[in-house]
This record gives sequence, structure tokens and C-alpha cells, in this order.
Amino acid sequence: MSGSGAQRAARASADGGGAFVARVAPWAGATVLVVMAVALLYIFTGAAETESFAAPPVASEDISHGPTEPELTIIEYSDFQCPFCAEYAGWLTQLREKYGERVRFVFRNYPLADHQWALFAAQAAYAAHLQGKFWEMHDLLFERQDEWASSSDPRPIFDSYAESLGMDIEQFHADADAQSTVDFINQQALEGKEAGVTHTPWLVIGGESVLPRSLEQFEKAIEERL
Amino acid sequence: MVRGSRSAGGDRPARRWVPWTLAALAYAGFVVSAYLTIVHYRGYVSPCYVVQGCETVQTSEYSVVLGVPVALAGAVFFGLLFYFAVGLLRSSALWLVRAFKVLSFLGALAVIPLFLLQAIVLKAFCSYCLATEVLMLAIWVLGFLLAAPERSDARAERRAARGGAAAE
Repeated sequence: MSGSGAQRAARASADGGGAFVARVAPWAGATVLVVMAVALLYIFTGAAETESFAAPPVASEDISHGPTEPELTIIEYSDFQCPFCAEYAGWLTQLREKYGERVRFVFRNYPLADHQWALFAAQAAYAAHLQGKFWEMHDLLFERQDEWASSSDPRPIFDSYAESLGMDIEQFHADADAQSTVDFINQQALEGKEAGVTHTPWLVIGGESVLPRSLEQFEKAIEERL
Repeated sequence: MVRGSRSAGGDRPARRWVPWTLAALAYAGFVVSAYLTIVHYRGYVSPCYVVQGCETVQTSEYSVVLGVPVALAGAVFFGLLFYFAVGLLRSSALWLVRAFKVLSFLGALAVIPLFLLQAIVLKAFCSYCLATEVLMLAIWVLGFLLAAPERSDARAERRAARGGAAAE
């Protein structure tokens, strides 16, 4: 092959390589973007969100479980008709058993307007609280959320829960329907809203709002602050 | 232009921004759908916000159709549209434009039942779902800008063919 022939072949080869790169580059770039998006989303959806938050201080009328002088206080703003709150309720039951002697768990109402029966459920839970059965009713309402949340009238269902817990039904009705019950719930929600609560569940652990995405993250958030 | 394939745009000046915009919209749709898919498979439920009903939509029985999460179907669909749009960056081949048009039309059709489910059955709207629906409709509408030259070229070809036949 002559010198000029070799140069032409080299140029053609280089041109062919350039064309190949130009053909492949957009697809490679697109694939990198797709993989990168999936990887970043996977990483960030698993992270617990944390920021400092000044919740209204715990008062004597707050509904709580655990010691009055705890090592750590966890305040939860919750809505009985919220599916994520139902998920949290299961975790909180386990955490109350594990940390119940060191941690105070405070429950505050934050019924959302979009949830048709959330206020009624909160009223039923508060009426149960007045008979010393709040946490039992709390667990029942969350465990059987699908049952009453999709019903046309959940009150007979709440009655059946109260009966199963051995409560005085007449008193339960009177307490649930009392204006003072509605005022108590609305006051907690209003104070939460003024403090900056925008969604449920809203957890405040040791002065920070935290949104754990799993029981493990929840436990880690407690251990880090104890 | 890909060698050996017919152009949808002929000698008209190409609207370079159209495939770029389509690719960006499809990528945005892919990211949102992929997020919802990951949330679904990791078992996370979105918190309940004061002014949105994502949790209602995401946990409804309609979020999975025939065992396939709607979010996953959306991610695959937007992913396909994204790759087609990337193809349109380099080529205006007729088959590619047509395939993109058909896909985006099917996507726009799917928006109707998805929107009605939220509005009428669930009575709750999820902002992520609404975002993908708006993106889908935008892609479909923008797809017409790819289609317009194709129709006029086809008419021109038919006219030329009739003219040729008459001359013979």
C-alpha cells in the first residue's frame, strides 16, 4: 500500500469511528440518564427526613404513654384515616413495648379535612381515653382502618370496638359527641398547624421532626437521641 | 438523517427544539413514574398532606392493574417515549415519527380513565399522578409538530405521482 493510500485508509477508519461514536453517543447518554435517575431515586426515597421543629410543649392534658420524666419524648401528630399513620401505629406499638420505660410517647390529633371520618374516629379515640382505653382504641382504629374508612357510617363500627373493649357505651356516645371533645381535637390540630405541621404522620423526636421510612430507621432515630 | 429511510420532514428546516423538548418531557415523566414505582416496591406510603390525596390514590385498588403497578407501566411507557425522542434527535425517519405518534396517542388515551378514576371514584388527586398526566398530554400535543410535515410531504408525493402518470 502506498503512503497516500495508507493515509486515506486511516482517515476512513477515523471517519468510521467518529460516525460510530456519533451514532452510539445519544443512546449511551440516554441510558446513563435513565440509570442515574433510578439510582438517585432509590437512594433518596430510602432516607429519613430530619429538621429542627418547635412543637408545643407537652401538657398534662396530652394523651401519652410512658414516664412523666422521660429520657426522650416522641410527639406524633396523627390522623386515624391516614394509611401511613396506620403503618406507623404498628411500629409504635412495638416501640412502646421496647422503650416504654424510658421514652414518653405523646399522641396528638391532626385530622385532615380530606379524610371524611377522621374527626369521628378522633372523637371515638378521645372518648375511649376518658374511660382509660385510648391506646387500645388507637390500635383497633388503625388495625381495622380499611373496615371503617370505606363505610358509609363508621359510628356503629366504633360502637362495636368500644363494646369489645368493655367500655360503657352510653358514656362513650356522650363523650364522643361532646363539644369539649371536638374542641380538644381541633385545638391540638390548630396548634400543630401553627407550629408548622403539614402532613401526617408528623413525628417530633427530641426537638426534631423526623420522617422514618421503616421500623429500623425509627429505632435508629430513637437510639441516636437516647 | 438515517441512510436509506424516508424523511418525514423532507427539505423543510427541521424544528430542532421539538425532539429536544419531547425528550425532556418524556424524561421528566420517566423520573416521576420511576419515583412512584420505587415507593410502591419499597412499601413506602406517602405521608398524608393537608392539600393533596396522594396516599389515597397510591393505596387504592386501582394502583395495580392485572398485577402490574400503574406506576411501573408509566415508567416503562415514558422510558420508551424517551428513547424514541432521543432517536428523533438524530433521525426524522417516517417510521420513527409514526411510532412516536402512535405511542403518545395511546398514552393520551390512558390519561382519560386515570384522571376520571381520581376525580369520580377516588375523589382525591395525587400531584405526582397529575404531573405525569399533564406531561403525557403535552407530549401528545407536541407530537403534532412532528407529524405536520409528514402529511404535507405525503400529499406532495401523491401529487408528483399523479403528475408523472398524467405525463406518461
